[in-house]
Amino acid sequence: MASEDEEFTMLFQDFYPSLCRFLECLLGGRAPLAQDLAQESFLQLHRTAWGTMPVGEARFWLYRVARNMAINEFRKSNTRYRLFDRVVEVMRPRARNPEQEYETQERNAMVLEMLQTLPEDQRTALLLREQEQLSYREIGQVLNISESKVKVDIFRARAALRERWNRTLGISRSSHKDAKVQTPYLSLRALAAKSQ
Amino acid sequence: MSCNFPEKISSLIDGELSATEAREVERHLLSCSECQQLHADFLNLRTQITSFETSPQPEVQNRALKKILASSERGVPARGLRWSFGTRAIAFASLLIVGEILGLVVYFNLDTQDKNTAVVQAPSPMPVATAEPSVDPSKQPDTKATPEPNKENTPRRAPSPAPVKRPPVREPKPGEQFASNPVPPERLRSADAETMTALHFEKSETLLRSFRNVRMDEPGAAAEVKYERTHARQLVVQNMMLRREADASGDVQSSSLLESLEPILIDIANLPDKPDRDAVRTIRERVERKNIVPLLRVNSTALARALD
Repeated sequence: MASEDEEFTMLFQDFYPSLCRFLECLLGGRAPLAQDLAQESFLQLHRTAWGTMPVGEARFWLYRVARNMAINEFRKSNTRYRLFDRVVEVMRPRARNPEQEYETQERNAMVLEMLQTLPEDQRTALLLREQEQLSYREIGQVLNISESKVKVDIFRARAALRERWNRTLGISRSSHKDAKVQTPYLSLRALAAKSQ
Repeated sequence: MSCNFPEKISSLIDGELSATEAREVERHLLSCSECQQLHADFLNLRTQITSFETSPQPEVQNRALKKILASSERGVPARGLRWSFGTRAIAFASLLIVGEILGLVVYFNLDTQDKNTAVVQAPSPMPVATAEPSVDPSKQPDTKATPEPNKENTPRRAPSPAPVKRPPVREPKPGEQFASNPVPPERLRSADAETMTALHFEKSETLLRSFRNVRMDEPGAAAEVKYERTHARQLVVQNMMLRREADASGDVQSSSLLESLEPILIDIANLPDKPDRDAVRTIRERVERKNIVPLLRVNSTALARALD
């Protein structure tokens, strides 16, 4: 029992932060809700599936359950929760200096805004690939779809984001040939300026 | 895009192409500037998405883990804990409102009844029904013909083995309206909860003292723990209920003490048939470290005094 709990604790320490990040991106922010859902996913794992599945599988199981919960949240999403989340977010203690915090917030907001333009399945596949670095096979396992669907979803997501990004910056494809590749941070700054 | 490589470029940056395909795409990239740009843009997107920073505070993470491990054993949904205060507060507020409405209805009914009684029996007015122990039921006029057996022998305050004194609840007479007790329902509920909490603290204190005195040097140690384990199992459920009650009523002191007590009770309840010395010693040390036995004593005494 003790060793099972230790193993579970290790898994929790390893994946809880990344599951929170995944959920936050999927939900378009709402960090407190993301943390709640991550916690609930782990709780379900501990109650139902822990001990009956290989540890390696647990990670995929977690992402699958977390994603389903996030989809449920989309459906029942209401203002009260959003308001509560925002209040919690505003009241959250922040340890870093304000400038650094501001930059991080700005960058995060831009990423979230971009991701929200994607359909949910493409967004999930892209997040699992880019943030969690899962392979196409593993993503297919989490989302219960084929590898080829994963490949197409990820490509479409990237293409859509790229197009939106270029459109926002006012860069046409024809004149893009000689455009210098921008650093991500500068791109975000430029994107922020354009959207204002 | 003039060429048909974009999808392969996406797979290339994900490392999902075979060596042959990857070489083919890389060769193409050398000659196609559009694909070079696409490749660079996809990599930029990756950098942006991975730059998303969020990390729950360590204390949030630790709290979440504790809740999961504890509530898995207790069967309480983890997320419910976060929202439980609000839900309970709403439930409690609703209960208060219902209580007040009932109180008003009862008040008006009582008023009407008093007037009616006064008209019918002017010389011997209906006594006001209260929960005060000073009211002697034997002296109340019997407005109905139904006899009340043993009413005269009923003591004013029934002797109770419980250490905490509670005002006796007067039995309604036949024909008397049940809801004619003017004591507000929420007060009764609160007193009940406090009494139960005080008793629970006493029982838990006894249990922990008993557990502290378990002898582990003897071969029959497992049999001795069995008693504590059985009692702990009974107390865990009660502890959960009382903790919720204390949370809902805003009794922070009792709530925090019950919260500290709960994992200890769970640990004792979960001890195996033949616990090893280390398991017992660990729990004992935790009891000592949290200084929980004196706290239980102080709180149960304080609650009992408050109820007197």
